[in-house]
Amino acid sequence: MGPTQAQLDTCVTCGLCLPHCPTFRLTGDEVASPRGRIVAMAAIATGELPSDETYAGMMSFCLGCRACEAACPSLIPFGLMMEGAREQLAEDQPSFTGRLRRLLVGRLLNVKWLLALATSGIGILQKLRITRFLPRKLRIARGLRPLRVFPHTVVGVHDNTPAEPAGSVALLAGCIMDEWFPAVHDATRGVLQMAGFQVHSPERQQCCGALAAHEGAGDAARRMAKQNTAAFAGYDYIISDAAGCSAHLKEYAEWAEGGESVAGRTKDVTEFVAELIADGRLPRAEKPNGAVAIQDPCHLRHAQRITSAPREIVRAAGYTPVEIDPDGLCCGAAGLYMVYEHETAEQLGEQKVEQIAATGLDTVVTANPGCEIQLRGHLGNGYRVLHPIELYWESLS
Amino acid sequence: MTLVDDLRAILGSDRVHSHPLELLVYNKDAGVTTGEVVAAVLPETTQEVAACVRVAARHGVPVVARGAGTGLAGGAVPTEPALLIVLTRINEIWDVDTVARTAWVGPGVINLDLSRHTEPLGLHYAPDPSSQAACTIGGNVGANAGGPHCLAEGTTVAHILAVEMVTADGDVVVLGGKAPDPPGLDLRGVVVGSEGTLGIVTGVLVKLTQNAPAVRTLLLTFDSIQEAAGTVSAIVAAGIIPAALEMMDRPMVVAVEAFINAGLPVDAEAVLLAEVVGLEAGVAAESQTIERIAGEQGATSVRIAADDAERALLWKARKSAFGAVAQAAPDYYLHDTVVPRTALVDVITEVYAIGERYDVQMLNVFHAGDGNLHPLVAYDSREPGKTEQVRAAAEEMVRVSVAAGGSLTGEHGVGLEKRDLMPLVFAPVDLDAQARLREAFDPEGLLNPGKILPRGSRCYDYGLTALPGEAAP
Repeated sequence: MGPTQAQLDTCVTCGLCLPHCPTFRLTGDEVASPRGRIVAMAAIATGELPSDETYAGMMSFCLGCRACEAACPSLIPFGLMMEGAREQLAEDQPSFTGRLRRLLVGRLLNVKWLLALATSGIGILQKLRITRFLPRKLRIARGLRPLRVFPHTVVGVHDNTPAEPAGSVALLAGCIMDEWFPAVHDATRGVLQMAGFQVHSPERQQCCGALAAHEGAGDAARRMAKQNTAAFAGYDYIISDAAGCSAHLKEYAEWAEGGESVAGRTKDVTEFVAELIADGRLPRAEKPNGAVAIQDPCHLRHAQRITSAPREIVRAAGYTPVEIDPDGLCCGAAGLYMVYEHETAEQLGEQKVEQIAATGLDTVVTANPGCEIQLRGHLGNGYRVLHPIELYWESLS
Repeated sequence: MTLVDDLRAILGSDRVHSHPLELLVYNKDAGVTTGEVVAAVLPETTQEVAACVRVAARHGVPVVARGAGTGLAGGAVPTEPALLIVLTRINEIWDVDTVARTAWVGPGVINLDLSRHTEPLGLHYAPDPSSQAACTIGGNVGANAGGPHCLAEGTTVAHILAVEMVTADGDVVVLGGKAPDPPGLDLRGVVVGSEGTLGIVTGVLVKLTQNAPAVRTLLLTFDSIQEAAGTVSAIVAAGIIPAALEMMDRPMVVAVEAFINAGLPVDAEAVLLAEVVGLEAGVAAESQTIERIAGEQGATSVRIAADDAERALLWKARKSAFGAVAQAAPDYYLHDTVVPRTALVDVITEVYAIGERYDVQMLNVFHAGDGNLHPLVAYDSREPGKTEQVRAAAEEMVRVSVAAGGSLTGEHGVGLEKRDLMPLVFAPVDLDAQARLREAFDPEGLLNPGKILPRGSRCYDYGLTALPGEAAP
């Protein structure tokens, strides 16, 4: 538990991460920088200073976007270190809200019927047009797609088997992806079947555990990783259409015995489909469709270093991808961050909206559910926000 | 009222740090020395800086200015308990004059952000330290920073027209102006490179440089450091001053490639990164000449960046060099000396020998074009006695460089690191003159005390303090 000495040693305090960190950009404060956070982690790890509220605040203020990781010439595993630090904090300073958060992402999100019930509830509120009265702090609810009132899941789905399948794919259903983004799963399944894959969404799978890991609910994250490692055995590929989940599955070696097998077979749907398009196994749209703005989810761009794939998919759908941000700074969603560090999330969300508005475009693609919710919540009416795979599937249909 | 109370009265509590953990993150820069910070403040205006300086003076607490903390010589590390004024939030760019090609910028503006800001105007800020993506203009002014492209363009001092500065007693003055050669003594030139010992710079009038119409970047590979160094001398002897001429040795290339995956030649003993800029015809001719010279000197391959993306990748590789060293060991000590180009081969050979003698791992990356060496020692500070060994090796490298007709420091500043080596290049009378100049600006010795000038530079000791761990004077 806690970042390891070897991980802490990786930092030579050069400071090249600083400008890539959204919270440092906002504050100019070393205390809110990746380097500062590592120095603090090291001071706690060695016992030089006690783990107190200030330390907890420093760790909590990090978005976990991992932009610092992509910028680090020392190849520091900052995401894992922050997860370790937060797990240690959960033990050293168990606050009420922290417990609540860990209960939510470590347990409740993983209880299918509960999530289905909550989804139906929100769906009804949406139909009654009540969500627009929610406070700004619950912007998350304002950024949701219209939800289904009746329960629905892709878990257990076995799509038609082609005569000579190109390979077998296990689709990660996910927690909120399954309930709140069924259209993204539909598009993913449609595209993969078109390319000749046998697509299953295995029984007994769980939430990937990314949110649990980010919140310091390490035991829950390990439990989920263990169960998923078993559920996903035997498939050629494990595909996720949520960047946060594919990034976490690729780190399963850290979370479960045998997890490296999951990590090795996992691909984000964008990289998988972009390769299929490049190989000529999936078609390109024949006529141009216009232009769309590209928003890079941090866990796609920084954690997985995938940037060209979503753009290639957008091109194959007949659209011109338009860049909004050369730095790929976080939109402020960052899982639960947008709720508990509301003010910072708002500032980052507004920045992103300004960048989108500057393009003059009304369609934005993003490959992660949290980003989509944040963008929808901030953009308001008149904008279309969707996953690149949906745009592609739409162009083929 | 304590110092912290008084500071909070000016800035509010959010922008005044006094918790031990918050102070710990501010107690060092990117170098190896740590110091003691009693409070760290984040002012947003010149007036706030001035107010903080006055409060510190009233409490008799020294003041140290800091930018992004990417310095390597300890310029922003206090030698005695001090108030740290962090200038990152003063980061406006105003008054961009496209005709005179100047702009006023806050000290907290990040170097690369400035060039990105003026890019649509076809202009950039020329000095480009390797840390340019992170370091601030204020810090660049403090250290008189260099960078790969300073070979042709000159270092920071050649690009600063004026500075707005808070003096030791809290007054605000502007030194210099838009005229390239202001009347009277050139105080602006005195302030650039003074590492916050003469005042705290709160605004900088910079020169902007025209973006070149054509650029070509070449990566040359060699079987020996000697051949690469020979190529550097031959290029300059042929009458070409490239925009940049950089060298990395094999251990360095291996470490960088692991991060960047740019297809760098990891089996070459040395690589040269050369860049020529100008009009297309001139660029083509110079690039051909460099290729020919490299061939004559024994280059095994030449790679020319095909487009801007590849060019950016090669530069990112070079500018990531020092951070990549952690792959070799948890600590590094990056040196900065200058030697005459003709002495490059001899000094580098000697640097490797010093590494062997002190049993430390040596990696080399440097601005070969102007003979600015950056030998880098990778080590583990927890190994007993290692840090002392590394420091001893460092001192010997500096002595070798100076003996070869070179200088103490190329671009990182003197700071703490080189302070006690100043007598290698300055006679007592020179040091005394510099100490008098400093006293004229800061009679109480409150601005970044203990930096640049060694103890006893003045005929009486006016308060310079010891390095942490040393006995007080």
